[in-house]
Amino acid sequence: MSRFFAGGSDSDSETSSEEEQVQFPRPTATYSFSDDEEEVKRVVRSTKEKRYEDLSNCIKNIRNYKKIKDMASILSSFEDLTRAYQKALPVISKEENGITPRFYVRCLAELEDFITEVWEDREGRKNLSKNNSKSLGTLRQKFRKYIKDFEEDLTKFRESPDQESEEEEEHEASASESEEEVAAQKAVQFRKEVEKPSKQPKDEDSGDSTDWGSDSESETESSDDDNQYMNIRERFLKRTTEKEEKDEDVEKKKKKAKEIKPRRKREEEDEEGGWETVTKGPATSAEKPKMFAKDAEIDIGLVLNKLSEIMSARGKKRTDRRQQIELLYELMAIAQLHNLGNACAVKIRFNIISAIFDYNPKVSEPMKLEYWAKLVVAMKEMLQILLATKDITLSEGVLEDQEEYEKAPYYVRGCALTAVERLDDEFTKLLKECDPHSNEYVERLKDEVVVTEVIEQVLQYTERIGSDNEICRVYLRKIDHLYYKFDPNVLKKKKGELPANTSTSVEVMDKLCKFIYAKDNTDRIRTRAILCHIYHHALHDNWFQARDLTLMSHLQENIHNADPSTLILYNRMMANLGLCAFRQGNVKDAHRCLVELMVTAKPKELLAQGLLPQRQHERSAEQEKVEKQRQMPFHMHINLELLECVYLVSAMLLEIPYIAEHEFDARRRMISKTFYQQLRSSERQSLVGPPESMREHVVAAAKAMRCGNWQACANFIVNKKMNAKVWDLFYEADRVREMLTRFIKEESLRTYLFTYSNVYSSISIPSLAQMYDLPNPKVHSLISKMIINEELMASLDDPTETVVMHRSEPSRLQALSMQLADKVTNLVDANERIFEMKQGNYFQRGNMGNRDRGNYRNQNMNQGGNWGGQRRDNRNQRNRQQRDNRNQNMIEEE
Amino acid sequence: MAQFDLTAKNCQFFDRHLTFPLLEFLCDKGIYDKRELLEYILDTVNKTNMIDYIMDTRKRLNLGDEMPEELAHRKQKVLQTLKELQAEVAPIMKATEMWKNSESAKDSKTLLNILQKQFDFKAENVESAYKLAKYLYECGNYQDSASYLYFCLLVMSPTDKNYLNVLWGKLAAEILILNWNSALEDLARLREYIDNANFTNIQALQQRTWLIHWSVLAFFNHPKGRDLIIEMFLYKPLYLNAIQTMCPHILRYLATAVIINRTRRNALKDLIKVIQQESYTYRDPITEFLECLYVNFDFDGARMKLHECQTVIINDFFIVACINEFVENARLMIFETFCRIHQCITISMLADKLNMKPNEAECWIVNLIRNARLDAKIDSKLGHVVMGTQPLSPYQQLVEKIDSLSVRSDALTGLVERKHKAKNSESIDAWKYY
Repeated sequence: MSRFFAGGSDSDSETSSEEEQVQFPRPTATYSFSDDEEEVKRVVRSTKEKRYEDLSNCIKNIRNYKKIKDMASILSSFEDLTRAYQKALPVISKEENGITPRFYVRCLAELEDFITEVWEDREGRKNLSKNNSKSLGTLRQKFRKYIKDFEEDLTKFRESPDQESEEEEEHEASASESEEEVAAQKAVQFRKEVEKPSKQPKDEDSGDSTDWGSDSESETESSDDDNQYMNIRERFLKRTTEKEEKDEDVEKKKKKAKEIKPRRKREEEDEEGGWETVTKGPATSAEKPKMFAKDAEIDIGLVLNKLSEIMSARGKKRTDRRQQIELLYELMAIAQLHNLGNACAVKIRFNIISAIFDYNPKVSEPMKLEYWAKLVVAMKEMLQILLATKDITLSEGVLEDQEEYEKAPYYVRGCALTAVERLDDEFTKLLKECDPHSNEYVERLKDEVVVTEVIEQVLQYTERIGSDNEICRVYLRKIDHLYYKFDPNVLKKKKGELPANTSTSVEVMDKLCKFIYAKDNTDRIRTRAILCHIYHHALHDNWFQARDLTLMSHLQENIHNADPSTLILYNRMMANLGLCAFRQGNVKDAHRCLVELMVTAKPKELLAQGLLPQRQHERSAEQEKVEKQRQMPFHMHINLELLECVYLVSAMLLEIPYIAEHEFDARRRMISKTFYQQLRSSERQSLVGPPESMREHVVAAAKAMRCGNWQACANFIVNKKMNAKVWDLFYEADRVREMLTRFIKEESLRTYLFTYSNVYSSISIPSLAQMYDLPNPKVHSLISKMIINEELMASLDDPTETVVMHRSEPSRLQALSMQLADKVTNLVDANERIFEMKQGNYFQRGNMGNRDRGNYRNQNMNQGGNWGGQRRDNRNQRNRQQRDNRNQNMIEEE
Repeated sequence: MAQFDLTAKNCQFFDRHLTFPLLEFLCDKGIYDKRELLEYILDTVNKTNMIDYIMDTRKRLNLGDEMPEELAHRKQKVLQTLKELQAEVAPIMKATEMWKNSESAKDSKTLLNILQKQFDFKAENVESAYKLAKYLYECGNYQDSASYLYFCLLVMSPTDKNYLNVLWGKLAAEILILNWNSALEDLARLREYIDNANFTNIQALQQRTWLIHWSVLAFFNHPKGRDLIIEMFLYKPLYLNAIQTMCPHILRYLATAVIINRTRRNALKDLIKVIQQESYTYRDPITEFLECLYVNFDFDGARMKLHECQTVIINDFFIVACINEFVENARLMIFETFCRIHQCITISMLADKLNMKPNEAECWIVNLIRNARLDAKIDSKLGHVVMGTQPLSPYQQLVEKIDSLSVRSDALTGLVERKHKAKNSESIDAWKYY
């Protein structure tokens, strides 16, 4: 018994092995009946034997049910018992001279005690389920009526209960004794479970494996493989004990879990010491679990009945979910032992999977690792069977009464797809639970391979039997695991380093997505597929494809009607599209993609990469929970600093020349609010030191560009610090840096011309080219563009290769009158728009005009970039705030 | 020049009969192996009933003069079917005769009435007329086919299952008999039908793509077509989308049309946007020319591209006729842009950019100046052209800015007053009840 006492005296290795046993109750194939056993039963027996056995079986059942207070079952067993007794009556009268057999009386007496006890216990009675209490009433009445015939025997029995004449009773006594023993064991074991957490570190210290998940997984797998061999061995073991204990298998289901321990122990010792453990056999096998009657012919029907019996307890309040899972494992082992066919195995495994899913009742919390491991194994096994056997159909479409287990083609009700979806969700939850910077996360993430494998298998299976809709669903799962992963082969292939027929992830995505576009009829799957598709293209620098897909899908117009998780995906897609545009040198597009995300100043929240710290009850605990559930697991995150840097740099490239151009323009507007904020905050500082953070670098660069100093600007943007912080995160960092420098040169040149053109009457192009380290034609082309767009009042003089300025400086009066004209134009514009907008009720609203002007400008701004639709997240936030404000107002009014 | 040849791409969207002119055109150009082309033509023509054409092609391929047994047999069969079909349609033929004479039956309803009353006309007759027309078309007798189809169009209701086919057939037949006026009419009718019919998106896209290709044929051969092509391809979003998704190579024809159409310069900006957007799926010297000139202001590049353009256009069936116009206009474009940017240009450099000799260029510029298209002077001593640029004075700017303001404000006040009156009268009415 020492090993049940929490390992203090035990060696460490033994403790650890014990714990594994506790955590992973063995599939109980090992405890079921061997073939030999059945042969034994077919031996011809006398009627007496047969009848008596029936009786004792019933008695056993009753005893079992008494233990779990299952009144309904007791009632039915009692009825069985009386019937059996009726049958046995002629034999009894012949053999025993009409005296009621003692064991029968004893049973009745016990039952009477039990009934009165339960009846008296009013509290307990109240807690009984409706079904049970009803049965209790019926049982009590029936029993009273029945017992009248035996009153004499009973009184006699009660006078001398100890008198034991029959051999079997000895057995029973020993059985009950062993039961007590087991109960003691159980108590110990519970205690041990409590202690477990504290013990775990010890195990780790001792150098045992620290990785519970994978370790236990392999353990279970191997043990499954072992089953066959163990069964054979089991037969040998049992034969020695079975005959004597034949009648005596009173068992409690709960025990099964415990028995595993000795079993396991024995098994381990087997490996070292061979057959030595056989001696221990009798003790353990006495507690053999019992799922079916001893002599029951185990066939598919029986197993299925048992299965539905176990599963019917599902979801009920008092069901021990853990026990349920164990029972299912046992059942699976039995089914396997009796070769009940693959259909049956699939069904049981499917039920195990759903039982494991049920184990954790909370939606927000991930399941325990041990169950996760079990789940993965069960899932894999099920899929292996499904894929290996061609004629099993596991589908939701199969109705209960259409199920077919006996002959091919098999039909089983259930849905592998839903299971795998759930599996995937659980995996994400597990990931979110760990600290992303720890080793644990990496360990967890290793399971991703397994999950993708499982999805792949389900995909194969679904492709075989599933409907289009189901295929779409499983494709989407695959896409979910594919879209954010970068495949360097794509770029290599683009450069021609790989042969054209290599299959890359882009092609796989293409195939999956196109199928979904064609076949899907739920809008959501298609939307998500498109978003992932764009994301994937953007990730691999397929800018044009990504852009066209974005434009063709018209997602921006109706995305704000989508659910939050799709919105998050949309935001992620937009962020990545922006990065892609930037890498490809489309600064304007990059800015347009990112502006919606960055203008809110909380891209972190919009991308679901973390919650912002609470600010005065912005959200309730419940909201926070919901939001937490939506978070992306860490390995899918988009680097926020990179995102912000790209945004600010592209804003700088657009904004600085614009500022220079419109320095005195009254109608100037901001291109990027966020960028302005950065500029302003740096201006507010009394002392500006050398830049440290990414933002400071960009601001410093912007200031340098403002004076046309491209070299300083480029140095601020591209340097060691910035490389380490951001640029090195790009796949082709050097190319990006080169491109950036080029842009900086060009835009600095433009800024320079805008700012200083009024002090020149002519500039020579070659000297400009030299200043900005650009080739002559490039400078020529840039200046030409500016002249054509009437940004620069100048013209080229070809023979001397100079730019001649035409700019006539307006006098103060002229400048002022120009400004006035601008303002008047603004006013007229605004008036016209107001009239268009508020045609009907213009007068009622009074002078809304001035107030709305600002808004109109904003609208104008948005028109340029119809890239980003409204984000619902934002709006929700805003609405929430408004609501809060309103509430506050109301309170104040009261 | 095979790399810029679009025949293969275009032919996917054409009727079999419409491809013959293209292929024959290619035969003369010698871009591809002639024999291969002829074999291809033979292959295609074998699928039609044009026995004479088959024979002709065989001759050109030197497959012998005499007609093979099987062909003769086929010819007989074709003639026989033709006769049968004609017999079926005979009653209608009479009716058509009669209808041609009478002026009264112009619109389809009265015609149908008359036909039904006087000639015992049934729906099957239309069907057989349609069949005959199709058969005639397959035999290469486009003229007759077109007239039968015209009849069909008159008596058919637009809901008829063959209506669309008849429209397409009519258009093809008109194009093949080079009757561009009615081809344009049919084109408009077909477009209207396609835009209004209830196709699924994909079907509509396909129909539009066909229509786009077929219409190119008509547009470049009709004097009005050059405006129409810009109107339809560039400013009808549905068709622009079709071009962008299905056949970006059509941009070549669109670009050509814009370049040769001097009155539609404002379309250039829109066109260049489209070209830039699609630059990753389609580019050829013509689109690149525009890009060089208007996006990169790379005049040397533009000159090179213009040179390439010429060879491309000569080898393109659709636009070969516009080559001179194209070159002339392209030069003008280069020059105009040049003038807008420069204030002083050496003639020799200009001549170089325009692919001209200096003397020619000088002549050309003189002509331009004389026609008052250009405000410039030639400094013949230095060989310069000096632009007469005038910087925009601030006063002028001011006037330009305020110019429209008073008109706009006026209009606005007018509107407001009208609204106000309406409101007042309403509110007076409303007050009655209080």
